[in-house]
Formats: sequence, C-alpha cells, structure tokens
Amino acid sequence: MILTTRRLSVLALALVLPLAASAADYKVGPGSTLGFSGKFQGQQFDGTFGKFDAAISYDAANLATSKFDVTVDTSTAKTGDGDRDNALPGSDFFDTKKFATAHYVTTGFSKNAKGDIIANGNLTLHGVTKPVALKVAFSPNAGGARLSVTGTLKRLDFGVGSGEYKDTSTIADEVLVNGSLNLLPK
Amino acid sequence: MPLRSDHTRWSTAAKTFHWVMALLILGNGAFAFWMDGLKPSLQKINLFALHKSVGLTVLALFLLRVLWRAIDRRPADVPAPRWQHLAAKTVHGLLYLLIAAIPLSGWAFNSAHGFPLQYFKQFNLPALVEKNPELSDTLGTVHVYLFWFLLLVLVAHVGGALKHHFIDRDDTLRRMLPFGRAKRMPPTSPGDTP
Repeated sequence: MILTTRRLSVLALALVLPLAASAADYKVGPGSTLGFSGKFQGQQFDGTFGKFDAAISYDAANLATSKFDVTVDTSTAKTGDGDRDNALPGSDFFDTKKFATAHYVTTGFSKNAKGDIIANGNLTLHGVTKPVALKVAFSPNAGGARLSVTGTLKRLDFGVGSGEYKDTSTIADEVLVNGSLNLLPK
Repeated sequence: MPLRSDHTRWSTAAKTFHWVMALLILGNGAFAFWMDGLKPSLQKINLFALHKSVGLTVLALFLLRVLWRAIDRRPADVPAPRWQHLAAKTVHGLLYLLIAAIPLSGWAFNSAHGFPLQYFKQFNLPALVEKNPELSDTLGTVHVYLFWFLLLVLVAHVGGALKHHFIDRDDTLRRMLPFGRAKRMPPTSPGDTP
C-alpha cells in the first residue's frame, strides 16, 4: 500500500490525538494534606483529615479532560482540641456512622477574571450534594506534581451542625477547605 | 447626688462601682455554679461565654474603679479603734486583690484550656498562657477557690458594715447605700475637705 501524504497525516493525527486528549493521571503520594478551617467563638481553628484518597487527571493545557475525584474519610478529622474532635464524628456534625465518606468530583474547569484556574465540582458531604468551586495551583516537578486547592463552603448547606449547632454566631457557617497534594504518576 | 465624694459621703460614681460590681461578681459566681452542672451542649458553651464576658466586665470596671479611686476624694473614716481601721483596710485590700485575681485566673484558665475568649460575641481577647491541660486543671481549681476565699472575706466586709450600722449606729454603711444619706456629720478631719 502506498501511503499518500494525506493518509500519513491522518495516521499521525490518530496517533497523537489520544495523547493530547487525555491529561496525565496521578495518585496521592506521601506528604499530602487535606484540611479545613472553621471559626469558633470568633477564633479560627484548623483541622486535617487523616485518611483520604484522590485520583487526579490534570493537564493545564487540556482542562477539558482533567478531573479530580477525591474521597475523604470524615471520621479522621482532627482539629487539635479533644472536645471538638469527639464532637465532629457525632450525629450533630459529620455523622460518620451514617455518612462515612465525603466525595468530591469535578464537573469542569474554568478560568476566573484574575486568570486563576477554578475547578468546579460537586461535593457530597453528610449525604448532601452541592457544587463547590476550588482554586487550583498546579506545578509539575521532577517526581510528579504539587497540586494545591483552596475553596470555601457553607457547613449548613450540607447540614453539618444540626439543632442548636446551627448557631452561626458561635460556629461560623463558612468553612475554608484546602488541600496540598504531592502527586505521583500513576 | 454628687459625682465626687466629699468628707461625709461616697460619690455616685463610687457607689455605682461598689454596687454594680457587687451585683456582677455575686451574680456571675452563682451563675457559674449553676451552669457548671449543665450537660454538654452549645447552650452551655454560650452560657460559659456569657460568664466570661461578665467576668471581663468586672475586670474592666475594676481598672476604672482603681483609676477613679486615685482621683476622687474619700469620706473621712468613721471614728473607731485603730485595730478596726486596720482590719477594714486589710479586708478592702483583699477584696480589691480578689476582684482582679478571680477574672484574671479565669482568663488564664480559659487560655490554658485552649478556648477562644470572645467578649459578648463582639471581639476576641488574646490568650494569657499557652494551651496546657495540666495547668488548665490547676487554674480551674484556683479560679473556684479564689471565689470561695472572696466569700469568706465578704463575710468580714458585710459583717463589719452591719456591725457599724446596727450596733455602733454610725454612718459607715449608710453613706455607701444607693440612696442613703449621712445621718450625722462626722467630726471634721484634716485633708478631706475639698
């Protein structure tokens, strides 16, 4: 068979397209943290989740095929205060007996006016699914990449804090979420 | 009623400090024993926050009172034996000390426990000490014992006032009562005239 120039180019395109179309896949490596910051009686407190996992596909040049899929074990929240850490898994807050994990999946990526990359996705927390946007900072490095995300959510949107714990004058509604992931190639 | 004290009576300012602080201190103390027995809840947290805010108010009033005391005149001592004047001065000194020490120990207790300190949900005050569970337990005990000690000193303070009122029938208590007026003029005392 004689390969014409046109045929060659189609072949070349067919070979290259799949590579360009799919972002690189990463898994979570050691040195990764996922946390949150809330406000209690006017003072910020910081918490971290001891157990979480994420499947990250990301290519800054090809956001359409990029995707974050994060699963968090909400029973592993630690905030540096015994009373609070005992209360968080309880039925008034995360209710981890009923809802053991929180799950975040991106639905797409966009750029804001400042040029920041924003991940748009749905967070399922405490059995409630709502959109949550995260600001993304991604920097490839020798071993993989460092991915940092920050965003805010309202705890009451997810029913975290029931009954008297809905009182936002004592426990602020707004919660900052942050992640700093050390990504390794899959 | 005069803002400033003269040689026969305490000023409105002095009386206000005295009675408002007495009410806040005793009220806040009784409130604390009641709320301490409640089962854990957010309401309990908010009640504790209220107790702390009232305590801080007492501390702020204490500072203002000391300042006012420094610039205000004071009525002449009612004639009494020297040891009684000395006893009264000691009791007053202890009361002042405790009025400052109780809220300060509570503040330190709160800090050592790692709780935020928010004044009537308006603004936050810094921690006095680092978070330290053992120190927190000690300071909690100190905070309560200082209050018991205050009540003990108060027995002497109130006892003395009542003794003057009902046995000596002098103006000691009357001149500090909210709407009290001196029954008789005390002997003129040098240095107390305006």
